Amino acid sequence: MLLLVFGSIFGGPTPPNYTLYVKNLDVDHEGRPGVLSEAFIRALNESVFEVQLLKPGDPYPRSTGFAAIRVLTIPMGFTSNLINATIVNRVDITVETIMMMVEMAGDQIPPEARASISSSMEGINAFRGSMPAGVMTLTLEGSRDDRVLQPIEGIINTIASRFELALLNASSTIDVKTRFNDTRQLRSVDYYLPGYVAAFIMTNGLIGVSSLVSDMRRRGIIKLLASTPVSRTTWTMSIVIVQTVASLILLSVMIAVGWLVFRIAAIPDIYSIIVIILGTLAFTGFGMVIGVSLKEVEAVTALGNSLSFPMMFLSGALWPLELMPPYLQDVARLMPLYYFHSALRETLIVGSVMTATFPSLIVGVMATAGILLAISLTKWRDF
Amino acid sequence: MNEIIVVDKLTKKYGDFLAVNNVSFIVKQGEVFSLLGPNGAGKTTIVEILECLRTPTSGVALIKGMNVKDPSEVKRIKRLIGVLPQEFNAIDNLTVYENVELAASAKGSRNVKDILEALGLWEMRKSAFSKLSGGLKRRVGIAMALVGDPEIVFLDEPTTGLDPEARRETWSYIRKLKKSGVTIFLTTHYMEEAERLSDRVAIIVRGRIAAEGDVRRLVSEQGGKTRLIFEDLGERAAEALRGKGYEVEPITDDRTVVKVSDKSEVFEVLSILRGLSIDAYPEIHHPGLEDVFLRIVGSKISERGELI
Ligand SMILES: Nc1ncnc2c1ncn2[C@@H]1O[C@H](COP(=O)(O)OP(=O)(O)OP(=O)(O)O)[C@@H](O)[C@H]1O
Ligand SMILES: [Mg+2]
Repeated sequence: MLLLVFGSIFGGPTPPNYTLYVKNLDVDHEGRPGVLSEAFIRALNESVFEVQLLKPGDPYPRSTGFAAIRVLTIPMGFTSNLINATIVNRVDITVETIMMMVEMAGDQIPPEARASISSSMEGINAFRGSMPAGVMTLTLEGSRDDRVLQPIEGIINTIASRFELALLNASSTIDVKTRFNDTRQLRSVDYYLPGYVAAFIMTNGLIGVSSLVSDMRRRGIIKLLASTPVSRTTWTMSIVIVQTVASLILLSVMIAVGWLVFRIAAIPDIYSIIVIILGTLAFTGFGMVIGVSLKEVEAVTALGNSLSFPMMFLSGALWPLELMPPYLQDVARLMPLYYFHSALRETLIVGSVMTATFPSLIVGVMATAGILLAISLTKWRDF
Repeated sequence: MNEIIVVDKLTKKYGDFLAVNNVSFIVKQGEVFSLLGPNGAGKTTIVEILECLRTPTSGVALIKGMNVKDPSEVKRIKRLIGVLPQEFNAIDNLTVYENVELAASAKGSRNVKDILEALGLWEMRKSAFSKLSGGLKRRVGIAMALVGDPEIVFLDEPTTGLDPEARRETWSYIRKLKKSGVTIFLTTHYMEEAERLSDRVAIIVRGRIAAEGDVRRLVSEQGGKTRLIFEDLGERAAEALRGKGYEVEPITDDRTVVKVSDKSEVFEVLSILRGLSIDAYPEIHHPGLEDVFLRIVGSKISERGELI
């Protein structure tokens, strides 16, 4: 569930459509928009943007949810200015082209013809000088926290340049085509999957297993089992096996959903399965220790909760540690879940056995300690 | 009959608190043995020592000659016994069948079906445990104790908290069980239960055994006389009976007790009265464990298990 929600926020399979609010001030006295500003807006709308026109007097749009608000303002006089500028540009190009031809022809042009060409060029230049034309500024307004505002400005600039070229009747001679290849690029949804799997296994152990064990003791099941030939090691291991199977099923479901919905990159290999098993052992062991160390089921659940929740949020399982202040990052490194999800991420997503070694070793130590503690603290007599 | 359980000078201390104080008794093979006592008397402590779940402070407890303190014998003892812990509740979200199967697999047994049929649980084997009535829940617990064909079954307060009907039903299953030859070790604070079910009983109060022995013998030796209760007997009749050596005591204004030792005395009392032209039909109160308990301990046990 969480994976679906977060995954769709942080990058699903279809490229996002950016909403762009456009305020067009280029209107005549009857409020009709200029031809060129209208055409420009159409060009924007045919690109990655979904244009929403803001009429004069409309309030500044407000964000619902996570979508960023970006407003592009087209200045007054856009159309006339652009027409003038186009004429000026065309004149400049024409004059320059003719002068270049004259230069290249050299002596082939008789001197009197050359003089008459330059005088007419001067006449044209004088006419050009009388045309009012300058640079027009479109304003793009957006939040300082909007990380894609810069790229969006670039896209709008590109569209504007193409628009100007089209007005000059010139065609673009440089084109970029995108081709997809098979290299793996981590996306945020890839980052979250191992975190969720790890957090789930942790809560299953610290809250689920602990209250299960405690409830079984309250019901007398533990007494009944202890009066049979079953040993407490067998009992502990049977809980561990059930939890391991549950974890592996959870992992497959998460990967299946992740793959179907988000084309997630995770492929479980033998290393990630070992890490899953070690993590399950560790948290099942810890859960059993909690379950046997307090009398009341309610107290056990409360302790399990108060250990799980801070760990879930502070260990970097639910969001990247890099987003947290440095002292919290140090705190995270004291948490068992940190090592579990790091090891899982390195094996499952990054596919790097090297970087997984250290956290996996820590998880292995926790697993051993957890299981041994669980066995030795479980009371099989003298309750 | 041979002795299947021998307990000798058994003592258990929790810290400084003496919960079981120098207790000795035996249980014979195939009998129903009851530990009868009020709350906190030490019943569960003794039972759990016998189940190898508690370590005694001193003394000896032998199950079929094997010492419960000897780690090498504990596993063999555990193969012989079936246990219903006090206030036992099976797992809520498992079915009746699954719960009994859990106990069966712990004991390496597979006769789940036979047990369920014997206890009348087969029809409801697929019901979730949480959906059962109190009486049925306890019966599932008994099934979990009985599965695996144990030679000795320990039932720690099997009917506490049940309504009278469910209690009677449980008794009938315990009687059936006895017929199959199993030795049954019962704890209870219900006098009636101990008296109706057990062959032998040990009365335990504050960690000490107050009396032990064959139930009928205890009652006949310690229970006192049979009491005949008459309404409106009259002073003349009372005098005549006293003259023949009977104990006659008024209990209320119009009710009088005449104590007799056996049946022939009942008829004698009635014929004396007839001689005086008094046609009276008394209520007959046979002595029971309650009288034994009252006589030895000096108090009664309430419905909830408290000494009063
Ligand atoms: N683990 C323990 N630690 C300390 N004291 C205990 C412990 N278990 C029992 N006791 C005390 O020992 C005494 C005997 O307890 P036990 O449970 O054996 O009595 P019981 O006859 O089974 O009573 P009940 O009818 O209440 O079950 C009680 O006073 C009890 O409070
Ligand atoms: Mg008890």
